[in-house]
Amino acid sequence: MTATDVTTPQIQIPGVSVEQDTDTEDLVVNIGPQHPSTHGVLRLITTLNGEVVKEMEAVIGYLHRSKEKMAEGVSYFQYQPTIDRVEYLSSFYDHYAYVTAVEKIAGLKVPKRVEYIRMITMELNRITSHLLWFGTFLLDLGATSPFFYAFRDREEIFKIFEDITGARMMYNYYRFGGLNNDITPGWLDKVRYFCDWFPDRLDEYEAIVNKNPIVMDRTIGLGLIDRELCMKYGVTGPNIRAAGVPMDLRKTNPYCCYDEIEFDVPVGERGDVYDRYIVRMKEMRESLRIIRQAIDKIPGGDAAEVEKLRQAVAAKEEAAKAKAKETGEKPEPVPPINPDFEFKGQKINLMTYKPPAGEAYTTVESPRGLLGCYMISDGTPKAARVKWRGASFSNLAALPELMIGQLYPDLMAIFGSLDVIMPEVDR
Amino acid sequence: MSEPTNENAPENKEPAPNPPQETPEEKGPEPGEFGKLLAENGLTVDPLGPDAVGVEMIGVAPDKVLDVAKFLRDSQITKMDFLMSVSGVDHKEYRESVYHVYSVDTHKSICIKVKADNDHVPSLMPVWPAADWHEREAFDLFGIIYDGHPDLRRLLMPVDWIGYPLRKDYKQDDPRLVWNER
Repeated sequence: MTATDVTTPQIQIPGVSVEQDTDTEDLVVNIGPQHPSTHGVLRLITTLNGEVVKEMEAVIGYLHRSKEKMAEGVSYFQYQPTIDRVEYLSSFYDHYAYVTAVEKIAGLKVPKRVEYIRMITMELNRITSHLLWFGTFLLDLGATSPFFYAFRDREEIFKIFEDITGARMMYNYYRFGGLNNDITPGWLDKVRYFCDWFPDRLDEYEAIVNKNPIVMDRTIGLGLIDRELCMKYGVTGPNIRAAGVPMDLRKTNPYCCYDEIEFDVPVGERGDVYDRYIVRMKEMRESLRIIRQAIDKIPGGDAAEVEKLRQAVAAKEEAAKAKAKETGEKPEPVPPINPDFEFKGQKINLMTYKPPAGEAYTTVESPRGLLGCYMISDGTPKAARVKWRGASFSNLAALPELMIGQLYPDLMAIFGSLDVIMPEVDR
Repeated sequence: MSEPTNENAPENKEPAPNPPQETPEEKGPEPGEFGKLLAENGLTVDPLGPDAVGVEMIGVAPDKVLDVAKFLRDSQITKMDFLMSVSGVDHKEYRESVYHVYSVDTHKSICIKVKADNDHVPSLMPVWPAADWHEREAFDLFGIIYDGHPDLRRLLMPVDWIGYPLRKDYKQDDPRLVWNER
């Protein structure tokens, strides 16, 4: 869509070139950095011709907290709590990228149960992130209620997270080679209950929004993204999938245990704002599908079952020791618990933990797209370099080109549909 | 638990089991899949072996990097069309620009390392326009100058910032800053 398409009026007056007569002087409007709907501190220098955007420049860096420099000043473990702040809406993903980078460099093997718990928490996190997007995106379009619905449902997931991590948003739960603690007894049932409860909510939201004429009028055919533009700026995540490119690292480069799980990658057709909305709604359902399978497949099952097994093995070890004391021989070796869910031996002192020299670039499919963590270790207790490749960073880079020729009031719809979160852009 | 001695210093021993796949390739960093392909097409690169994840790393001289990048993008075998990120790295003696490129079709990635020649590196924007903001960021934080970049300005730091914060020898002593006044 070019500028002339938008400005061409419906009624033609004979003898008068409306286009020429209405062509006004350019007006530079500064949007931000403190703008209620920029989802953070983003400044957009916009040149307008009437209501049509002629030029746009994004100015970022207002939220730059030098996260990458911080990584070079503290030990590997001390850096972990700050990762939550790199991207606070889906911080499990950043943790996963960071923790796997260390694990790959050090060659730590992670028990399968840990990977499954990581997968469940990450997918739940995807739902919270998409829900927040759903609420704020419709708020940008002028609908107030979805925001409240979305936040109510997010709270249900936060309760689930709080059970195991102790925090609602800043989890800091993953550790090198494992987790901070096992899940609590009955936690899987809570997740299962959520999975049964949530689809009805999603149905309701889709009934409210999907065929809503106002939403459809404002979103269909707007902000078109195609594969070329995605490659030009590095746009990823639901944005590239809405453009019809099934690029999903969970499918193409499976990490964690995604290769054992069945799920589809929803793709759009046109690549407009409406498609991006539809893709995200479908992704929430896929996430639920993944979680359901993961709950069924998790090695060891509920935490109470694992605890029973642990106690049984401990009792056997005790008995063997007691017997050895009586007979004066070496205690008989007790068969260990399944290594899939028990992390035995090589315990790590986290505070002083240092992986050997090496480097890794781990990529994760975060709710916003491709998240990368480039880590260089030089064998000292502090990382030589940690670089975050935030999905929002590249997604935002495409906004100025997307906006050229669009109406100024459509800015919030297009920008909202990209799902950009500023702390991830500025780091 | 059965091996308490193993618990104190496990990670120093731990790396040994990791490289089983790496060792054969790392021995005399032999060129991997992409390195061989590039050599067949007359582009000599410096094979650096795979990284911990298994991604092939190649070192390329600054004057050759544009040709190598163009080949990787246009070749029907590699199809490296998606630039994931550009990271500056400070090795104290020299600085390096590291490109991680991914192929949406073949799902493979490659890491291209370019040693900056006196902090100068050719911009890869003609090949991968996605490098725009990433290279600006590396310039902003490391002072690597990307020759040929159309709009090389600071991105994250304020425009009047002095110095390049992510350099190892960076000292924040700008007298204009309030906390440096005393």
